[in-house]
Amino acid sequence: MSERELFLVGLSHHSAPIEVRERVALSGDALKAALQELVRAEAASEALVVSTCNRVEVLVHAASDAAARAFFTERAADARAHLYAKRGVDAVRHFFRVAASLDSMVVGEQQILGQVKEAYGVACAAGTAGAFLSRLCNHAFATAKRVRTETEIGRGITSLSQVAVELVEKIFGDLAGRAILLAGAGKMGALSAKALAGLGADRLLVANRSPERGLALAAQVHGAFRAWEELPRLLVEADVILVSTGADRHVITKEMVQAAMKARRDRSMCLIDLSVPRNVDPACAEVMDVYAYDVDDLEKVVAGTREARQEEATRAERLVEADVLAFVQERRARAALPVLGKLRRQAEQLARAEAERTLAQLGGLDERGRRSVEAMAQAIVNKLLHAPTARLKKAAACGDAELPAAAAQLCGIEPDAPDAAPAPAAGEPERRAGPDDASRAGSPDAARLSS
Amino acid sequence: MSIIVLRTATILYALAAVLYVAYFARPRHARLATAGFSALAAAFVVHAVAIGAGCSEFGGKEFFTVRGGMILAVWLAAGAYLVLHKLYRLPSVGAFVVPLALVALIPTALTDPSHPDVPAELVRNAAFHVTAAVLAVALFGIAFGVALMYLLQEREVKGKRFGALFSRLPSLGTLDRLNQRLVRAGFVAFTLALLAGTLNAAAFWKSYWSWDPQQVSSLAIWALYATMVQLRHRGWHGRRYAVLTVVGFVVLAGAMGAVQSFPGATRHTGDYGMRAAAPTEVLP
Repeated sequence: MSERELFLVGLSHHSAPIEVRERVALSGDALKAALQELVRAEAASEALVVSTCNRVEVLVHAASDAAARAFFTERAADARAHLYAKRGVDAVRHFFRVAASLDSMVVGEQQILGQVKEAYGVACAAGTAGAFLSRLCNHAFATAKRVRTETEIGRGITSLSQVAVELVEKIFGDLAGRAILLAGAGKMGALSAKALAGLGADRLLVANRSPERGLALAAQVHGAFRAWEELPRLLVEADVILVSTGADRHVITKEMVQAAMKARRDRSMCLIDLSVPRNVDPACAEVMDVYAYDVDDLEKVVAGTREARQEEATRAERLVEADVLAFVQERRARAALPVLGKLRRQAEQLARAEAERTLAQLGGLDERGRRSVEAMAQAIVNKLLHAPTARLKKAAACGDAELPAAAAQLCGIEPDAPDAAPAPAAGEPERRAGPDDASRAGSPDAARLSS
Repeated sequence: MSIIVLRTATILYALAAVLYVAYFARPRHARLATAGFSALAAAFVVHAVAIGAGCSEFGGKEFFTVRGGMILAVWLAAGAYLVLHKLYRLPSVGAFVVPLALVALIPTALTDPSHPDVPAELVRNAAFHVTAAVLAVALFGIAFGVALMYLLQEREVKGKRFGALFSRLPSLGTLDRLNQRLVRAGFVAFTLALLAGTLNAAAFWKSYWSWDPQQVSSLAIWALYATMVQLRHRGWHGRRYAVLTVVGFVVLAGAMGAVQSFPGATRHTGDYGMRAAAPTEVLP
């Protein structure tokens, strides 16, 4: 039987255009069926599919990645050119990086961890996530959480409409009792207006030169339509003004703002100009208690975030690398446990048999005497196995596969026995996984060996 | 005895100030703010004990000096901030208000208490006047800190500097509302202090108004803050109002300092003019 290891085959926004990604993306029952299909060829193998709008990745813990590759080629014949394939420690690293949002289109974005968690949940429900993938996922989730809390990769604002929200929040606190005016029917304006709705404004007014488009937009953003000619009066009524028209000149001038501020009794006003060329005269910012911003100002904030996140990503990569190594090492250490368990069981059996033989020969021993003989036999086993146990565990942790194999041979332990450890190859994190794996970890043998 | 307790309180204030400033520098560590709040609450309690001990040692006369007034003002400001924190949850304000309180308190902890020859009767009758006046100053002081924050934040927001200060300081709207409420509450306390003071003056100095420099400056400051409250009512707010708050407090502090720094100018010092008033009663 050949060795099982972790294979990852996938395509993402880095490698494939959306036309390919959308053809292989899956969800719901189709995803469950695909998962079961992935493990059908090989009993006891495990599979996980992460399918988001930016990536589709198949992880299998199996003897080869044939099934994972077939997953893509069956769905889109031209996917082959866009696939990347990783195995062993490289696959582990890739998966950890994805979960920690280091491979995302917007590095540090928050959704990906939830999506990976969901993918794991689906695999569990489909019964294709066994002991290995469960441990892998739990480690990846813990690492992602560490990256989020120990670095500042999730900080900052990544979209223009979010910047607009942040600005308005810093000026007004919340928008209770205030009004937002959306001037013009540009796309950015509508997006920002929707984002601002979260701040609890009382009214959203929409003004547009063409009443048809204006009314349609007002319906779309749940606002009230006002005629374009009312603009000067609307400047008095509204506190946040989003300007997003196609005009090639200033539609809001300093004089208009000054007049409005007088009528407003100097209540603060926030002007956000989302149009290029600009529709708000930059001189408006000179008026007291008027806060005016243009696309460039918002863009700068986003660029700043991107830069800061890039710096944090370097720190995060180091963190992920350390966790990947720790995970791989832990798998290797676990690979030595079956040899140890077998060795100890064999020795204990021997000790018990010898003790019984001795007791039979001695005869007529009281309870205390019997117990002493048994304890002596057990003590000899413990003392004899102490040094080999320590050395084997150390060798396993260092990735040395030869010593466990040699120990098995030396002590006459059958290496191919179902619960014996196969020699792990360098970079290969885990021997075969199965439901018995977890139970062995918790067995008295394992507990004693690791104590 | 009370001075030792007061010094303990000062150390706790210093700890709270350090924690709040550290929180301001590293807002991700929310525990710093919680610890700062706890340290401040502890300082407030110890400070209360110090005031109580001072009262029992010197019969409250201690608080009829500038130093005593300062001790009382810091205590009331700390109490007001604790209440504000419960209402508004603005730990970043602590980074401005607590160090301010500490700076006011340190000189008092370094000097020994003086207890002028104030008759116990005056101490009893003028206690409300003193407490109300000191409370007003404490509230105006916090408003001053909040207004400074407003001006700082306004500079960042208007100048499109979306840096560390921008993200750490509360919103302009919140600071403006907070400022308004503090000024209004302080004005109420100040008005009560003036009324009580006038009644005290009538009782002890035999005249409601005697052109005492303290009386004159207090009335001027009252008029200043009354104007602010009125302007607010008529729509003034934001930057203009924050500047007014800062100017108001600077004028207040300057006037208080000036009045006290000319010995003999005011009867609001030493024995509060009681010896001058006494002979007519003592002599047959």
